[in-house]
Amino acid sequence: MPVWQILFFVAAMAFLVVMSFWSVKSFRLTPDFTFANWIKMYGAGYFQDTYLRTVLYASLAAAVSSAIAFPCAFGLAFRVSPNVRRLIVFMLMTPYFTSYLVRSYSWKIVLTENGVLNTLFGWIGLGPFDMTSNLFATMVGYLTLILPIVILLQYFSLVNVDRNLIEAAHNLRCGRLRTVFVIIVPAAKIGIILAATFAFILSFGDFVSPSFLGGSKPPTLSILMVDSVKSGSQWPRAAVVALTMVFTLLVVAFAALTLAYGSGKRGR
Amino acid sequence: MGEPLLILDGVSKLYGDVPAVRGIDLRIDAGEFVAIMGPSGCGKTTTLRMLAGLETPSDGEIRLRGRRMNEVKPWDRDTPMVWQSLALFPFMSVLKNVEFGLKMRGLGAAERERRAMGWLERLHIAAYRDRQVSQLSGGERQRVALARALVTEPEILLLDEPMSALDAHLVVHMQSELKQLQEQLGITFCYVTHNQSEAFAMADRVVIMSQGRVQQIGSPREVYRTPATRFVAEFVGANNILPGRVRALSDGLVEVETAFGCLRAKAPADDTPEVGRDVSLVVSADRVVLGREAAAEGNSLPGTLIGEEFVGAVVTLYLDIGRETELRVQTQQHNLDDLDLARGTRLVASWRPEHSVILPEG
Repeated sequence: MPVWQILFFVAAMAFLVVMSFWSVKSFRLTPDFTFANWIKMYGAGYFQDTYLRTVLYASLAAAVSSAIAFPCAFGLAFRVSPNVRRLIVFMLMTPYFTSYLVRSYSWKIVLTENGVLNTLFGWIGLGPFDMTSNLFATMVGYLTLILPIVILLQYFSLVNVDRNLIEAAHNLRCGRLRTVFVIIVPAAKIGIILAATFAFILSFGDFVSPSFLGGSKPPTLSILMVDSVKSGSQWPRAAVVALTMVFTLLVVAFAALTLAYGSGKRGR
Repeated sequence: MGEPLLILDGVSKLYGDVPAVRGIDLRIDAGEFVAIMGPSGCGKTTTLRMLAGLETPSDGEIRLRGRRMNEVKPWDRDTPMVWQSLALFPFMSVLKNVEFGLKMRGLGAAERERRAMGWLERLHIAAYRDRQVSQLSGGERQRVALARALVTEPEILLLDEPMSALDAHLVVHMQSELKQLQEQLGITFCYVTHNQSEAFAMADRVVIMSQGRVQQIGSPREVYRTPATRFVAEFVGANNILPGRVRALSDGLVEVETAFGCLRAKAPADDTPEVGRDVSLVVSADRVVLGREAAAEGNSLPGTLIGEEFVGAVVTLYLDIGRETELRVQTQQHNLDDLDLARGTRLVASWRPEHSVILPEG
C-alpha cells in the first residue's frame, strides 16, 4: 500500500481511534483508556437526534439531487446535439472552479430577508419569505455542492446505455415513458446509485451548508464535532463523532455498491 | 393469395441530404421468407428499420394489411425484430426477457409465464429460464432473442443479421432450424443479411439492394442464374463478366462480339437487345468446363492457368485469357483428376450458350 495512504489515512484513523479513549483534564488532552467519551456521546439524546437528523438530511439531499439531476442528465444523454452536450458538461464543471464556501455565501445574498429573491418577490407583492437558517437553505447549499456531480455521474451512465435496448423495448410495445423506467433506469442503475451515494457522502460530512446557510440550528454531526472542540477542547468526543461518521459512510458505501453491482453471486 | 401482407411503395429515406434508401417497391406475401441482401451501406437495414417503425420514410408508403404504417410508432405496431446485437435486456433473466412483450400487452403473470415457457421449450432453452443473459452462449442468446420476438405471435418477424455473431458451424445449424420454424409457424420472415449463403439457404425470395435501390427480386436460383444487373452479377455467386457488343440475333441466342472473339448467350426473355448495343456477357464460374481442346459447339476461350484456390470439394481456377482478364472457373475437385494441371498449362474454357446471360451496357 502506498506510503501516502498509510500516513494520511490508516495512521490518522488509528490516531482517531486511540484518541477517542483519551480524556480531557482541565481543557488538556490526556492519554488515557476510558469508555467515558463513547458512553457520554451515545447516551446523549442530542447526539442521537443529531445523528438521525444528519442521516435524514443527507438522504434527502441525495434523493432531491438525484430527482432534479435525472431529467437534466437524461436530456444531456439522449436529446441534445454533441456540441451542446460538450458545452453543458463544461458548464457543469465550472462551479468547482470557485470555492464552495464562496458559492454558499453568495446564496445568502440571494436568499436573505433583503436578498435578491425577496426583492423580486416584493415587486410582485409577495413575501418576504424566510429562506435562510432553515432546512430549505441547507438543502440549497447541499445542492450547490453536489448537483453538478450528480448530473455528470448520471449522464455518464445514461450515455452508455445501449441504444439497441431502448429500440428493442419500443419494438416490443414499450412506450417512451415506460421505457425510461423499465429499461433505461435499470440499465444505468450503477451510475445512478453511485451518483446518489456521492451526494449522500458529500452532504453527510458537509459543514458549510448547515452552519452558514442553515444557521447551525438544529446542528448536524459536523457542527456537533466542531462545537465539541471549540467549547471545552473535547477532542476525544469529536473523535467519537468522527469515527461514527466514518463508520456510517463505510456502511452506506458498501450497501450502495452491493445494490449497484449485485452481491457478486450472480456471475455478472 | 390476394393482397400482399406488406407493401412498400416507392419508399425512400434520407438522412439530411444523404439518401439511404431511394424509392424501393416491394411486395411481401403472408408466410414468405424474404431475404434482403446487399453490401453494407446498401440501405437494407434502414429498410428493415422502417418496417419496424424505428425510422420514418421520407417518401413513399409502407402498408401492412392495407394499413398505412408510415407514422405508426414502433410501440403501436406488431413488427418484432431480432437485432444484430440481439439487444437482450442484461438486467433481466431469460424468462423475464421473453415475457417482456407479453407484459407490455398487460397479460397476467401466470399467462405470461405459460406462454413464455412454451417458447423456451420450443427453442430448447427452457432449462435456462432463470439464468442471466450474460451466462449464456452465443447460440443460446440467439434463441432467447428469437423467443422474445416470437412470443407475441406476430404476423411478421424482422431479422437484422441475427447470425453475424455466431460461429460458422452454429450458423449452418441455426439456418435450417430457423427455416423449419418459419415453415411451421407460417409467419412472414424478413431477413436482412450481407451473406449470400444465409440468404440462399433460407429465403423463398431474395431482394438484392445496392446504393439504396432494389437491383433484383427473385428466387435464389433466379438471382443466381440470371442476374438482372451488373451489380447482381458481381455481388452474387462467382460470375465472369465480359464486355462486348451485340453482333447478331438468332434462334433465341445473342451473338456478342467481345475482345476474346465471338461468344453466344441466351437472349433475355423480356427485351431482346438490338444489334450494335453494348452489353456484358455473364457466365457463372461453375458453368465453365475446362479441357485440353475446344468443345465442338458452344463458346470456348483459350487461356493459361495462373492460379488455383482449393476449398474442399470445390476448386476455383484462374485462367489468363489475355488482355489482362482472368476467367474464373469453379468445379469439383475430382473433375480435374485426369487433366494433370500445373501453373502455365494451356487450357480451353468452354460453356454452353444458354448458360450465359446478357446484361445491358458495358
